[in-house]
Amino acid sequence: MVTMTAIETSHLAEEKSAVTTRSEAPSRRLSGRFLLGFVLPVLLALIWEAAVRFGFAQGRLMPPPSRIFATLYDLAITGELFRHIAVTTARVAAGFVVGVLAATLIGALAGASRLARDLVDPTLQGLRAVPSIAWVPLFILWFGIFEQSKIILIAVGCFFPVYLGMLGAILSVDRKVVEVGRIFRLSTFGLVFRILLPAILPTYVVSLRAGLGLGWMFVVAAEFMGASEGLGYLLVDGQQLGKPDQILAAILTFAVLGKLTDGLLAAASAPFLTWQDTFAPRN
Amino acid sequence: MLLVEKVDKVYPNGAEALENVSLRVNAGEIVAVVGGSGCGKSTLLRLIAGLDRPTHGRIRLDTETIEAPHPAVGLVFQEPRLLPWLTVAQNIGFGLSDRANQERDDLVREVLQRVGLVDCASNWPRELSGGQAQRVAIARALAPRPKVLLLDEPFSALDAFTRASLQEHVLDLWNAFRPTLLLVTHDVEEAAFLADRVLVMRPRPGRFVAEIDLGLARPRERYGPEVEATKRRILGALDRSLRLHPKGEELAPAAAI
Repeated sequence: MVTMTAIETSHLAEEKSAVTTRSEAPSRRLSGRFLLGFVLPVLLALIWEAAVRFGFAQGRLMPPPSRIFATLYDLAITGELFRHIAVTTARVAAGFVVGVLAATLIGALAGASRLARDLVDPTLQGLRAVPSIAWVPLFILWFGIFEQSKIILIAVGCFFPVYLGMLGAILSVDRKVVEVGRIFRLSTFGLVFRILLPAILPTYVVSLRAGLGLGWMFVVAAEFMGASEGLGYLLVDGQQLGKPDQILAAILTFAVLGKLTDGLLAAASAPFLTWQDTFAPRN
Repeated sequence: MLLVEKVDKVYPNGAEALENVSLRVNAGEIVAVVGGSGCGKSTLLRLIAGLDRPTHGRIRLDTETIEAPHPAVGLVFQEPRLLPWLTVAQNIGFGLSDRANQERDDLVREVLQRVGLVDCASNWPRELSGGQAQRVAIARALAPRPKVLLLDEPFSALDAFTRASLQEHVLDLWNAFRPTLLLVTHDVEEAAFLADRVLVMRPRPGRFVAEIDLGLARPRERYGPEVEATKRRILGALDRSLRLHPKGEELAPAAAI
C-alpha cells in the first residue's frame, strides 16, 4: 500500500498536469459501466433458471442456463468446442480477409477514378441488392460443398459494407483538406498517405466492423450448406438430434466470439483515431 | 517581388472572376486587397498560390512564373484547415517533410514560440480555440519561411478581440521574418491597421478600381486619428467604386423602377 502511494505521487509529480488526476476517476466509472452491461443478461438468466427450477416451465425446449453451461462445459473438456470454434473462426478470418482486400482495392479504385466508378459501381450496387444467401446454391454448384464455397460466401458478405464504406469515405474527403496538401506540394503518394488515408480511416474502420459482423452472419449460412465441423454444424446437429441446449451453447459462443472480435478490431484501430472530435465522451 | 500581369480568370461555367488584373508587390511590403464578397479577392489569392491557373496573363515571383503551388509562397485560408489527425506541432511541421528531422524540429519550435503556443504543441486541433487554431494555421504557413505569405480573410470568423490580437501577432511575425504579405479582407480597419498599400476591388468581373498608399509608420495606434483617417479614405474609395457603374449598367433606365 505504501509503495502504491509512493508510485502514485511520484507519477503525479512527474506529469504535473491534470491528465493523471483526470484519468483515475473515469477508469473506475468505465468499469462500472462495463459491469452495467451484464445486469440484463444475468437477470434474465436467473429468472429463466428459477422458472425451470420451480416448475413454471419444463425447460425441455428451453433449457435453463445451468444446462446450457453444462453442455458448454462438456463440449469444452472433450476439446470439441475449441475445434468447432477454431474451424469457424478460420473460415470467418479467411473470408473476411479476402472480402476486405477486394472491397478495399475496388473501393479505392472507384473512389479515385470517376471512370472506374461509372464502370463498376452500378453493377456492384445491383449485386448488392441480391440477398447474399441467394448465392448459396450457385456457389455450391460452382465451388463444391467444401471450404472454397464457404469462404467465398463469407467474402461476399464482408465485401459490400467495406466497399461502400471505402467509396463513401473517399468521396466525402473534404476538398479543403486536400488543398492543404496541394499547397505543400505533396506528391500523389504523399496525398494518399498523409491526407486521404487518415481522413478516411474513421469511416473505414466502421465499415470493417460492419463487414466482420456480416462475416459472422454468413459463416452460419455457409456452415448450414453442409459442414462436418464448426459452430454452424453444432446448430444443425442440435436441431436434427433435438438438442436445444447444444444449439443455445453454439449461439452463446457466437455471441461471445462476435463481440470479442469486434472489440479487438475496435481496440486495434483506437490508437489511430484518438484525434477524432466526436460526440461520445472519451477518456 | 510578386508580379501579377494582366490576369483574367474565367471559370468553366463562364463566370468571369477576374479581368485584366495587374499587381506589383515589393519584397517585404504589406498589401491589403479590400472589396465586397464575391469580388474575386479569393480567386486572386488562389491564382497566386498556384491552386488555380489564370485563363490569361501570368503571375511571377522574382524570375519564376507561378503555375503550381510554390515553396516560396505560403497561404493561410479563411478557416484554419488544420489536419485533425495531427497534433499542433505536427500540423506546423506538415510542410517541412522534405527537411531533416533536426531542422524540422528546430523550425517548428521556433515558430511555435513566435505564435506563443509552445504549451499546445502536443494538443489535438479539436482542443484549440478558434483564435489558437488560426495561429497554428499561420505558423504552419510560416514554418517553411516563404518569401510571400498570402492571407485570405484569415480573421473574418473571429470575434473583435481575438481579431485585434491576431493582427498584432501577424505584425510581430512580419517583423521577425519580413515576408511579403498579401492580405485579402473585407475589414477596412484591418487594412488600415496592417497595410502599406490598399487596393480596392470591384466585382463582376473582379478588377482593381483604386489604390491607396497609406504612408503610415509602424507601430500604429489602432484607434488613433491616423488610422481613423485612413479608414475613411478607404471607405471613401469603396463608396466611389460602388458609384462607378459597371459596363452596360448606364443603359439601364432608372426611371423604369
